[in-house]
Amino acid sequence: MSRFIPENNRYERIWILAKYDFKSRYYYNYLGVIWALIKPFFEFLVYYVVFTYFFPGAIENFALYLFLGLILWYFFLEGTNKGINILQQKRYLLENIPFNRGDLLISTTFSAFMAFMFNMVVYLLLSLSLGVIPFHSSIVYFPFLMTIYFLLVMGFGMILATISIHFKDIQHLWDMFMLAGLWLTPILYDKQMIIDNLPALIYINPVSGLIINVREVLLYGNDPDFQLLGFNIIYTIVIFAIGFFVFKSYSHKAAEKL
Amino acid sequence: MMATKKIINSSTEAAKNEQQAEDFAIVLKNIKKTFYIREKPVDSIRTSIFKFSNNNKKRAIPALKGVSFNVKRGEIFGIVGRNGSGKSTLLKIIARAFPSDKGGQIEVNGKLIRLALGMGFDGNLTARENIYLNGSILGLSFKEIGAKFDEILDFSELHDFIDTKIKFYSSGMVSRLAFAIAIHVQADIFLMDEFFGGVGDVSFQQKSQKVFENTFLENRSIVLVSHDMGIMRKFCHRILVLDRGRQVALGTPDEVIPVYESLFYNG
Repeated sequence: MSRFIPENNRYERIWILAKYDFKSRYYYNYLGVIWALIKPFFEFLVYYVVFTYFFPGAIENFALYLFLGLILWYFFLEGTNKGINILQQKRYLLENIPFNRGDLLISTTFSAFMAFMFNMVVYLLLSLSLGVIPFHSSIVYFPFLMTIYFLLVMGFGMILATISIHFKDIQHLWDMFMLAGLWLTPILYDKQMIIDNLPALIYINPVSGLIINVREVLLYGNDPDFQLLGFNIIYTIVIFAIGFFVFKSYSHKAAEKL
Repeated sequence: MMATKKIINSSTEAAKNEQQAEDFAIVLKNIKKTFYIREKPVDSIRTSIFKFSNNNKKRAIPALKGVSFNVKRGEIFGIVGRNGSGKSTLLKIIARAFPSDKGGQIEVNGKLIRLALGMGFDGNLTARENIYLNGSILGLSFKEIGAKFDEILDFSELHDFIDTKIKFYSSGMVSRLAFAIAIHVQADIFLMDEFFGGVGDVSFQQKSQKVFENTFLENRSIVLVSHDMGIMRKFCHRILVLDRGRQVALGTPDEVIPVYESLFYNG
């Protein structure tokens, strides 16, 4: 069967899918990449003003704290939203050439990850301009944390992609979830507020722990909170496994139903 | 015309002797497909909550009722039938776009591409990007695509528009590009859904018909769906006649085209 023919171009294929996905999102005109950077930065400025002047907290390096949290959140938001739309978008390929549908999900997550990396450059510049040293020895944990995060986003992406085949209005529901997520994740305020008032939320919301730990290792130069990290690893494995199974078993109707 | 067919036939014979008779490009056994439709589609969370509250009954539409055939390597295999007989559904099942009902068997040996009018490309990408994307999905490396790139361009005659987004293309240009990609990127099996004949202007049609007549397609297999009996008679080695999802006849064009034509009178 064609799907078992050994393929040596799989990585190239995932790369080209991700590249064109990223390109069609941001490069549609020459200002494209700038939009990719301006949008999160603008949002950052709004929150920064509100949470510095109206609801001031006592967070060390608040600007960087906020920006890092926001771009990490954006990665999740974008990766999952792409998951909802990808099968519909790539229907023209699914209908005409048999290939591994899972590659589509890897490529969309990767495309969202590229946008995140662009924003990381802005983060770096921001921290330099604020006179904060962006590198600590604890940065060695960063690739590991991002790998877990990547798999978490992809796991959710696979679940949502499968749901989107049968329920086309999942986007509305997910938008509501994402709005709740933005406020119930310690992005705009100190994690201590959640820990003191609703500690369970740190464990219900899988993104919280990862954002907290990425900040610890990048911004504050501390080791990650290993208890939280362990929990996040298990969470990610479960979500990814569910996503993988669900997508593998139920996504074959994509071209027919969409 | 007849000479052409003989050439292909003899090369098929040669290939057969070399590779044994069981070397098929496509093997289908007892393929069934039932579509389930409702008056109002249940395709959202909102409608699925309310689906039991009204008399929105599920209706089974059997589109294919057990189809079995093999396509040999190098064969041009035709499928004919009236509108709604299940031809396009069958092609989509072979292309694995649609799953078939349980119990059937599909075996496809080789890279497969389905060609249908005005489809298969991302409108927001340029022709160049679409060539790379489609080639890559079909399993070619960038290097291999690069090596074929000029040939694809020459064949499709789209030199001036290679970096134009596909959405600005006419449907004829899109089809030319699709056909050029399909024959150059080493797909082994083409499924052509009403694709042949209507593609491009007369000169391009002649050019693409020539493809069928020379060695381009050696060892490649084609499944052709068309209502144009002239084309079917000219190119197909064997033809399958479908009627309302049922396999009515399978044989050489001379044998089965009369069967197909009789369907229109018997109802």
